[in-house]
Amino acid sequence: MFTQHNRKSRQLLASGIKSTYDDDLYPTRLNFYREPPPLEISIEEFEQFALDRMQVLQALLTAQMRNLTPEQLDKAVSEAIRKYMPMSPNSKSSTSHRQLMEERRKDHISHFILRLAYSRSQELRSWFLRAECALFRYRFEKEMLKDQLEFLEKQNLSWKKVSDEDKRLLREKLKTSSFKAGNIDEETYFEVDFERVTGLVGRRQVYIQAGKAFVRLSDQVVLVLDEFKERLSHALEVTGRALPRMDEDDRLMPVLNNINKQYLGREFTSSAIAGEIQASDVDDLKVHMPLCMEHLHDELRREKHTRHGGRMQYGLFLKGIGLSLEQALIFWQMAFEKITPEQFNKNYAYNVRHSYGMEGKRTDYTPYSCKSIIMNNAPGPGDHHGCPFRHFSPPNLRAQLAAHNVDEFDTDDIIHKVQQRHYQIACTRYYEVTRAKMVGISPENIKGGLSDSATGSMIASQEVIEHPNQFFEQSYLLMKSKNAENEGGAAAAGATAGAGEGMDGVTGPVPLDATVRGRYTYKKAGASISSNVQHDIDM
Amino acid sequence: MLYYRHFFPFKPFFQWLNYDTVPKPSKSFLNREICWTLMDDTFIRFQSYRTLEEFKNDMIRLNPAKFDLGAIYNIRPKDRHMVRPAAFIPVAKEMVFDIDMTDYDEIRTCCKGADVCNKCWEFMTVAMKIIDVAMRDDFGFKHILWVYSGRRGIHCWVADERARKLNNDQRKAIVSYLEVIKGGMQQGRKVKLPNTLHPSLSRSFETIQEHFRNLVFESQEILSEPENWEKILTLIPDEGVQARIRQSWEDSPNRAPSQKWAELLDTIGNEIGQRQALENFPRDIMFQYTYPRLDDKVSTNINHLLKSPFCVHPKTGRVCVPIPIEDCEDFDPSSPPTVPQLVQELNRYDATHATSGDDSNKLQDWQKTSLRKHVEYFERFLKGLSREMRENKLKGR
Repeated sequence: MFTQHNRKSRQLLASGIKSTYDDDLYPTRLNFYREPPPLEISIEEFEQFALDRMQVLQALLTAQMRNLTPEQLDKAVSEAIRKYMPMSPNSKSSTSHRQLMEERRKDHISHFILRLAYSRSQELRSWFLRAECALFRYRFEKEMLKDQLEFLEKQNLSWKKVSDEDKRLLREKLKTSSFKAGNIDEETYFEVDFERVTGLVGRRQVYIQAGKAFVRLSDQVVLVLDEFKERLSHALEVTGRALPRMDEDDRLMPVLNNINKQYLGREFTSSAIAGEIQASDVDDLKVHMPLCMEHLHDELRREKHTRHGGRMQYGLFLKGIGLSLEQALIFWQMAFEKITPEQFNKNYAYNVRHSYGMEGKRTDYTPYSCKSIIMNNAPGPGDHHGCPFRHFSPPNLRAQLAAHNVDEFDTDDIIHKVQQRHYQIACTRYYEVTRAKMVGISPENIKGGLSDSATGSMIASQEVIEHPNQFFEQSYLLMKSKNAENEGGAAAAGATAGAGEGMDGVTGPVPLDATVRGRYTYKKAGASISSNVQHDIDM
Repeated sequence: MLYYRHFFPFKPFFQWLNYDTVPKPSKSFLNREICWTLMDDTFIRFQSYRTLEEFKNDMIRLNPAKFDLGAIYNIRPKDRHMVRPAAFIPVAKEMVFDIDMTDYDEIRTCCKGADVCNKCWEFMTVAMKIIDVAMRDDFGFKHILWVYSGRRGIHCWVADERARKLNNDQRKAIVSYLEVIKGGMQQGRKVKLPNTLHPSLSRSFETIQEHFRNLVFESQEILSEPENWEKILTLIPDEGVQARIRQSWEDSPNRAPSQKWAELLDTIGNEIGQRQALENFPRDIMFQYTYPRLDDKVSTNINHLLKSPFCVHPKTGRVCVPIPIEDCEDFDPSSPPTVPQLVQELNRYDATHATSGDDSNKLQDWQKTSLRKHVEYFERFLKGLSREMRENKLKGR
């Protein structure tokens, strides 16, 4: 299924070229990264290349998440690329051939280094896959048609062209299958196995018949992207399985571990910001919870039950705020009032222990991030999990906001953001408005970022909410800081209005330090789980 | 207790899981995960067997409440501890669907929860028709087995080799392609389709139109009771139109449902020029009330466990028999035999048929009961599969 390599380059690789580059090795800027680079590099270059690529990937993903116009996004990303990993096109005559090859070599090598660093766990692989696909797409779309076609030809993707006769027969069907179907007669269509275009199939944007999908040439990007994604996904899993055999090398492993520690973002394995939480404390802590978890909690109390999706989302969240396994078992058992302890032990206790890494393959699951909740596992009929900003209908969302005393102006603002599909930014706004009320600051004073108090500036400089546990922690710390403030001594608050950029735009890479001091632990460090298990690979 | 010893059709079942033209156990059988659920609700996962005899013996010994089929792995599931956890990987499994009547609770009025009757069963009929046709015409699959889940739903097993080899991404794409009804409890209107329907949805809409009136007006009586029709009215995206229709229906509640619906279509039809949002409302409501409701999780993960055909449902005692798709309209959920029924039939048969000395005519116990026709249907399904396998062998795969 993955077709044969460009035969010429294969011969060249086999001849063991170490330090000279051949013209054919990198004919265009684009790369499918099929083969690892056959070259030697120093360990300093190893780390530097990797970090530079990280800067670019991070800049791209952050820019995509913020509320930027296409021009702003392009500017931000190309700035990062120019700074850290310039890639000149073939057409630019000012760059020498040698320089072109250097640039592309760096691109090639850095990709493979990051593959190693990010193949360790499912979450890392997911992140890397998303980042690399975004980068590939960004670069592919910037390429001229000539270079795009040349690149694709070399990949030898073996797509079968649809004859004019067949096109005429399928005309009506082709037209109604896609929003973008323009002039059918002028477009070229390809017939490919539906398995190759899962993106289009999943979105119902392609006509399929007897297992064959009929894809437009201009949808090519999608096809190519899907190929890229599939190959990379497969390669990452293979790398992940091969990784433990690398353990004896103690030059590379520290570097690799350092790379993804810096940029993954906080995983919230167990921040225990509120200390050790008891089952009976949860109701009181509801005031600090984000809307998604609060909703799950309320429905749990109302129905005396939660379905599986809700149990996973809420249960892992509670683990993240510091609910131990023992307390979790008590909490859920008491919450499921209508079920006897025996029934609980039979049907639910195993799942709770499983989420804490005590059963089965013993993965200590991390609480879901906002991206994960928004994109994966949408609620079906009868479910209450998910993200309210994403999954509630606008009237229901309005009702919820009203119940939290959000005034009309802010509600409209939030709904507007939801309509533009900026769910996390809507949530952040919700956080700002409700926390402002909580500490008794008028929301107007927050809007311009003007506030004298430490708590005011804590709210004003709020970074975009990326994780429900982040919401909880910051709310909790806010309250602590307010209490400390009230008792006099701003120094006691100990909160730094950090280097967050607000929501206007990207000025540079996201800072690594926390804006609010908290204890964020990383996956390997959390050792409160059963000791006789290898955690290096989890699949 | 007697069911698995006397009635479970071991040989055809083995022939299915073996996916081969010869009786020697193949990798498909050896590496398949079987998960037993015992009478006291304990599960035993990752069981695998080297021969049919071994499987049969364990089944009789354990006397399970039910058993599930998992994926075919790269090694025998029983041997999984001999390798690193990461080296134990699922390799193939049928593409499956699970349609459960409880997902329709918010729109069905005749039953709730675990109950099921002939009236609401029509929802399942529609689901079977729509999904079956999509699997065959759109995706090109041929070997599709629909099975009664034993109580309140249906399972679908797509057994083509091409389907077994699908990865999670592809399974997810298929589910996403089929899925139309989106949203949890908090989402009122769950269907929002574009003006022009994709060819696959246009086709589904035809099926929906065939069943909508009977299902929604007659058996579910949605437009006959205010509390039922209110659920539809609240979804109308125009307050004024909503109020008008509500008033009219409240004023003469005993009018025929078809009349009420015609009035709704008319009122909306007049307003469409003014309000874009109204345009597709009636069509979308028809989808919301009749289109299949899938459980994503069952279908999107290759290693998901699903109850095997020909199990007995622990709560109802009914056998999970296949539903021939060509007769799906006639299926009656109270018709599959129960174990006591089978025992009676067996006894009756033995009483009326003297055993001759000639052993070559010896029938299996299931052949002496009403289970026979179900197993024979299953064997026709197997015949189709073995034809595919022989063709593939000739092509040299």
